[in-house]
Amino acid sequence: MSANKILIVDDEEIIVRLLSMSLRSDGYETVAAYNGEQGLEVFVAESPDIVVTDIKMPGMDGLELLKKIKELDPEKEVIIVTGHGDIDSTITALQLGASDFINKPVRDEALAIALERAKTKIAIRLQLEEYTENLEIKIAEATEEIRRKSNFQRLLIKSSNDAIIAFDHDWKVVVYNPEAARMFEEKAKDVRNKMSIDDLYPAEAANFYRNEAKTKINQKTLPWREFDFKTKTNKQIPVRYTSSVLTKEKEFMGTVHFFQDLTEIKRLEKELVASERLAAVGQTVSGLAHYVKNILIGLKGGSYVVDVGFKKDNREKLKTGWETIKKNIKRVADLTQDLITYSKQREPEFEVCDPNEIIQDLVELISDFAQSKDVTISSDLGSDIGEIMADPQTIHRSLLNLINNGIDACLEDENISKQHEVSIRSFKNEENEICFEVKDNGCGMDEKTRVQLFNPLFSSKGGKGTGLGLLVTGKLIEEHKGKIKIETDLGAGSTFTIQLPLGLTQKIITNFVS
Amino acid sequence: MSKKVLVVDDDQDVRSFVVTVLEENQYIPLVAQDGIEGLETIQKEKPDLVILDVLMPRGSGIRLYRKLKTDDELSKIPVIMFTGIALRSFLKSQKVLDEFGGGEIPKPDIYLEKPVEPEELVQAIEKKLG
Repeated sequence: MSANKILIVDDEEIIVRLLSMSLRSDGYETVAAYNGEQGLEVFVAESPDIVVTDIKMPGMDGLELLKKIKELDPEKEVIIVTGHGDIDSTITALQLGASDFINKPVRDEALAIALERAKTKIAIRLQLEEYTENLEIKIAEATEEIRRKSNFQRLLIKSSNDAIIAFDHDWKVVVYNPEAARMFEEKAKDVRNKMSIDDLYPAEAANFYRNEAKTKINQKTLPWREFDFKTKTNKQIPVRYTSSVLTKEKEFMGTVHFFQDLTEIKRLEKELVASERLAAVGQTVSGLAHYVKNILIGLKGGSYVVDVGFKKDNREKLKTGWETIKKNIKRVADLTQDLITYSKQREPEFEVCDPNEIIQDLVELISDFAQSKDVTISSDLGSDIGEIMADPQTIHRSLLNLINNGIDACLEDENISKQHEVSIRSFKNEENEICFEVKDNGCGMDEKTRVQLFNPLFSSKGGKGTGLGLLVTGKLIEEHKGKIKIETDLGAGSTFTIQLPLGLTQKIITNFVS
Repeated sequence: MSKKVLVVDDDQDVRSFVVTVLEENQYIPLVAQDGIEGLETIQKEKPDLVILDVLMPRGSGIRLYRKLKTDDELSKIPVIMFTGIALRSFLKSQKVLDEFGGGEIPKPDIYLEKPVEPEELVQAIEKKLG
C-alpha cells in the first residue's frame, strides 16, 4: 500500500487550489480544509496518509491541528508549512512531532521532496509493522510447538514402560517417571528435585554411575545389561538397564538411566521354554519306547537267570541274574530322573562344593565298568579350583553323562588297535570360569551328528540311548548360566568342555543395586 | 557230543540270559561282544549255530551276517537273528545293501524280535540243530 491521500489545510483558498492541482498532476489524491477545525474534521472523515498544513490560521492554528492529529494517530505524517524565519513555531512543531517543514512560499519541488520523504517513512514503518507482527506470530507458533513437544516428551517419559531417571550435573534427580516410582518405591514428590543419586541409589550403584559418567563420557549410549534389582521392600525384579551420559560441548550435563522390568518377559520366556520342552518330551516318547523295551529285555533275561539259579541252587547264576536286574532297575531310575529333569523347570541349588571331589567320585563310580570295556579313565584336576559356589548336582549329572558318552564313543570305534581312553580335566580359564573337559579318543562324529547333538529326537546309540542325555546336560548347564563346547574329529575322538561362571560373578550381579 | 552255539551281543544282560538258556539245554555256549570278535570266534571255533544281534558297535550284526553268508564255508552255519530291531527294518537294510553291494543275500533262517521267552529261543535253536 502506498501513501497516496493528502490533506491540505490553509486559510488561503488560492494556495490550497494551487497545491491541489500540482499534487493531483503528480498522481496524488487530495482533500482540502480551510481552517484548523475543518482540517481536523476532514482528517477524521477521510483518514489521509499525509497532512500538509499552514501554521498561521485563524481559530485553531496549524500547531494545534498537529497536536490534535498526533493525539488521534501519532503515526501520521504531518508536514508543516511555515513562514520564513519563524523559528519558535518550527521548534514547537518539531516538539509536537511534525515530520517535515517547507517554507512559504511553497515551491513544488520542496513539497515533492518532503512528500517523498514522508512516503518513505510511512513505507518503512509499514514494513516494520508487518515484520513485527509476523515475528509475534512466529514466536507464538514456535512457543506453541515447543510447548507441544515438551508436553509430548513429558507424556512420553511419564507413560514409558521403562523407569527413566535423569540426574543433572550435580547428581540431583530431575526426571523420575511413574514407572521409576513403582520400581524404587519412592514417591515422585519426595524424589524429584529433592534427592541426589546417593539418596535414591545404594552406594555401589551410585558409585558405579558416577564412575561411568567420568569414564564413558564419550560413549553416547551404553549397551543394555541385566541384573536382579532388589527393591526397598526386598522384592527381586529382573531388570535390563542402560544409561546415557549427557554432555554439551564436552561438558558433563547429567545422566539418564533406563530400567526395564523383565518380570513378565522372563515369565513368558520360561513358559515358552517349558512348553517347548514338553513337546520335545512327547517327540522323544517313540525313541524312549525302544529304550524301555531294552530295559524290559534285561529284566526278563535277568529274572530267568535268577530262576535258573534258584532251581540249580547255583550262586553264580543268582548273582549274575540279580546284577542284571539291579542294573536295569537303575536304568529305569536314571531314565525317570532324566525325564523329570528335562521336563521341569529347575533352578540350580547353589552351595559350596569342591568340583574336584565330584570328579574323583565319578571316576571311582565308573572305572570298573570302563575297565570291563577296555576303556581307561583318567583325570587331571586343577589345583587352583578349591571350593566354589555351584550346584553339585549339575556338575555330577552333566559330567556323568559326558563320561558315559565318551565311553560309548570308544566302544563304537572300529579301530581296535587304539588304547581307548576317556580323560577328565578341570581348570580355570582366562575369564575365571571353571571348566570341565571330557575328552575321548573314540569314534568321533561327523558334521551331521554334531549338529543334531542337542536335538531331543536324536540318539546315535540306537535302542541303547534315550536321546535325553545331552539334552539334560545342556539344560542343566544352561540353567547354571554355563556353556558347553564341542570339538570333534571323525575317527579321532571328541572333546566336550563345560564352562561354568564362578560363584563370584554371580554374586556381583545379584548384589549390584541391592 | 554237545553242540557249540555262539551268541554275539554287545549287551552283557542278553549274553548272560542266552548263555543260561543254552546251558540249561545242554549246549556249549560261546560268547562274543561285537561283530569283529564274533567273526574271529566263528573262524576259530566253527560253532554249529550263531545267535546274532543286529545293532552292535565294531562291525554291526548286519555286516557280520553278510560276511557269513558270502563265505563259502561259513555260509553253512545257521544263523538266528536275535534283536530289538523289527524284522521289517532289518530286511529293508539288507535290501539296500543287496543293491549297493550287488548280489542277493539269503534271508536269515530265523528272526527273533526281543524280548523273547526262553522257550521260544530253545524252540528256535532246536529247529536248527535238531
